[in-house]
Amino acid sequence: MANRRDLVKRRKAVRNIRKITRTMQLIATARFQAAFNRATATKPYTEKLTELAADLSRAAGEVDHPLMREPQDVQRSSLVAISSMRGLCGGYNAGLLRSTVKHLNVQKKQDLQTDVTMVGKKGINFFKFLKRPMMEQITHLGDKPAFEDIEPIANAMMDRFIKGEIRSAYVSYVKFVSTAKQQPVVIRILPLSSEENEAETNERTSSVDYEFSPSPKELLDELLPATVRARLFQCFTDAIVSEQIARMVAMKAATDAAEDMIKLLTQQYNRARQTAITMELLDIVGGSSALE
Amino acid sequence: MAKSTTFQCSVITPERAVLECETTSVVFPAHDGELGVLVNRSALLCRLGIGAMRIQQGSSTQTLFVDGGFAQVIDNRLTILTEQSKKPEEIDVQAAQQTLVEARAMDMVDDNAFTARQRAVESAKVQIHLARTK
Repeated sequence: MANRRDLVKRRKAVRNIRKITRTMQLIATARFQAAFNRATATKPYTEKLTELAADLSRAAGEVDHPLMREPQDVQRSSLVAISSMRGLCGGYNAGLLRSTVKHLNVQKKQDLQTDVTMVGKKGINFFKFLKRPMMEQITHLGDKPAFEDIEPIANAMMDRFIKGEIRSAYVSYVKFVSTAKQQPVVIRILPLSSEENEAETNERTSSVDYEFSPSPKELLDELLPATVRARLFQCFTDAIVSEQIARMVAMKAATDAAEDMIKLLTQQYNRARQTAITMELLDIVGGSSALE
Repeated sequence: MAKSTTFQCSVITPERAVLECETTSVVFPAHDGELGVLVNRSALLCRLGIGAMRIQQGSSTQTLFVDGGFAQVIDNRLTILTEQSKKPEEIDVQAAQQTLVEARAMDMVDDNAFTARQRAVESAKVQIHLARTK
């Protein structure tokens, strides 16, 4: 039979844990709101850029930009994996790293080398544990990465791509689908595919006669890198929203589990107490009846 | 029917919408010099340079610093897409001066480095100037 004092101690410990996890849940909720607002604030920019790109490529006709060409003879690609800096967010990092490793294995089967840029401590530690090489480790981005922080990453990526060092660039992150669903995905950022632009074009049939300055081609030269930067930035903001949701859900589950446990422990404690009283009574009754 | 003399103007950066307003006239730095926009302007798509844009709202003028990007005019809507935009009061003069010093010290090894240096220097200079004259 469980010791009563142990049960009380244990219940106290669980109560403390519940207090902590509930606070963490509240913090995650607040952070999620902030991150969500930031992610929505970046949408208009990206959308407008895509719209402009569609308008431009229509005006410029057949486009042949270095960022859209896929070099065939290069056996190397790059990957930016966005993991979190802190743990306690349920399956967030596990899911992300699983899809990352899967992607790396697929690439390897095709004899493609992949240079990994790992963002976030959790991913870095996991890759160290697996003894997988990382080209770059980034840990200085907080909960609110500024566009200026992401810009160098994107620029370095495009630089390597244009120089022909890599044939493609991927980003692995947890996509925010809805508050109930987040999905680890690996998307290709480079080379830019023209199909996406065409899909946009079909939607907007009314074509506008723009006055271009400078020529559409030169504008496109500037616009395409901006699109890449914006897309990468969007990935980062998305990842942070997903992380906060994952943490919120994990902490809610922990709080609920702690509550169940407290209930169970209370029940066990009461039972143990009752048993002890009954035993004592039986002792007294037994003793007095033996005297008679 | 009285003709409207105002049009929509919005300034968007990747991080947020900086400005969204009705205005009578806007002057912004295009890649080859300043460009003014009034109501009913024909459709335009243009690359931006580095500098100050001025937005006329009634009798007051608002100034914003923009660092490259694009401007689009369509159906009396002006949209400025820029990667960096600041109000003059948001500019940190000391930080800008620091970047100016750093930018001047940049190597000019090839064409790309040269343009990067030009850009950085100009951006810092304009910021300092704007912050001082606000």
